[in-house]
Amino acid sequence: MDMEKISKMLFDSLESGVAVAEPEGHEILSANRRFSEWFPGVSGIGCSLDDVFTDISMETVQSCIDDNRPFKTEVEIKIKRRAVCLALQITASTQKETPVLIVECQNISKVKELEYMIQSYTQMVEKQNRQLRNEKERVEKLLLNVMPKTIYEELKEFGVTSPTKYENASVLMLDFVGFTDMAISRDPANLITELNDIFTAFDRIAEQFGCERIKTMGDAYMAVSGIPEATPDHAHNIARLALLMVRYLHRRNATHDRQWHCRVGINSGAVIGSIVGVQKYVYDIFGPGVNLAARMETFSGDMEISLCEDMLPYIENDFAVAERGEHKVKGFGQKKIYELTGMHHASNAGFQLAS
Amino acid sequence: MQSIFERSGGFAAISKVVINFYNRVLDSDTVGPYFENINLATLIDHQTKFIAQVMGGPVAYSDEQLKRIHEKHAINQNAFEEVAELMKQSLQEFNFPQDDINHVLGELGRRAPSIVNA
Repeated sequence: MDMEKISKMLFDSLESGVAVAEPEGHEILSANRRFSEWFPGVSGIGCSLDDVFTDISMETVQSCIDDNRPFKTEVEIKIKRRAVCLALQITASTQKETPVLIVECQNISKVKELEYMIQSYTQMVEKQNRQLRNEKERVEKLLLNVMPKTIYEELKEFGVTSPTKYENASVLMLDFVGFTDMAISRDPANLITELNDIFTAFDRIAEQFGCERIKTMGDAYMAVSGIPEATPDHAHNIARLALLMVRYLHRRNATHDRQWHCRVGINSGAVIGSIVGVQKYVYDIFGPGVNLAARMETFSGDMEISLCEDMLPYIENDFAVAERGEHKVKGFGQKKIYELTGMHHASNAGFQLAS
Repeated sequence: MQSIFERSGGFAAISKVVINFYNRVLDSDTVGPYFENINLATLIDHQTKFIAQVMGGPVAYSDEQLKRIHEKHAINQNAFEEVAELMKQSLQEFNFPQDDINHVLGELGRRAPSIVNA
């Protein structure tokens, strides 16, 4: 067997599809078996490369070759019904001292299949991650509705939270006069919608003045300041909140049919804050500071805010109060009771209650 | 309970099934022609997501989406059954337990109303 035959056999047995073409007219001078299989009908001797690679601009190929670098791209062909991806490379060479183009194609379908599969899976996982992240944020938001952020952080990090005593905090308790009668009257659904509006407004005021709503129970609203972050202004914050809540209701009543009248009790003292429950979390506060605020509420008349001598020292310089005499407070003995009526400074005119 | 997807080793294991199934589908004269004019990237994408889904992996397609994707092609019950059979063969080739194969075929069968339209 002569050398030419051997090289022809080797040429044909290559896994790659290889062709040699004339550089000017792109006429195919020879092509191996694989190349002819991949490009049947257009790859015979004398055919033009332009007909083999119809999507490729031969000018681009030429400019690469002029730059002395190979032209590389990927082409897709169909074998039976299967898409086959080929890596194509065209380089300039010489054959028996005549310049020629060497065209090489390698089947990279397997790599492409894997590449596409990984892309697809990555997209799926990324989408799922986004959904999980959104879900997590939603759950976090829900949990932040039932407990303060710092407590939530503690719970997230350690899995438990311990009850904490706050020596200096202030508490506000509010409920509505005659709510039970209001509720059984006509249109209970609408009533609850209104209650919700009012509580939402209270939440906004509370947030603005460094207070936090602890909970609502029926028509009762409980807010606190100085928990879980301590603040020297806790009593001021709660007193302001109380005044603004009452003022808000006065204004609202002026423009609405249904009249809402509240009673408010405020107090400063030691408070214990803790998460209660395992499956159903509630962040709640306890202690004499809380109980006394609840007692104060019972001393309030329609649209009044009551406090006692325990809280007075914290606020008397800045807030106007009216004495309401000494009374027996259940569980606390005799206490001097005061009604909060407004703020002293002219700049705080907005805090004066309508008389 | 862990899904088949998790039990069998996640995507690393499933990827082999995808390629195997893809080859079987294209080689089949019954269903191969359906995939004739779909480009490689799209086809692989659909098959990866679909197989991951019927094995309980990250969910990708709603029934509504399946309907939309297949409505352009007239797919009859015969073609659907052929695909299920090819899926079974792929899973058998990788020695999936019979229970898992039944489960996957069940998941596939459940979606027939969204896929068969002719």
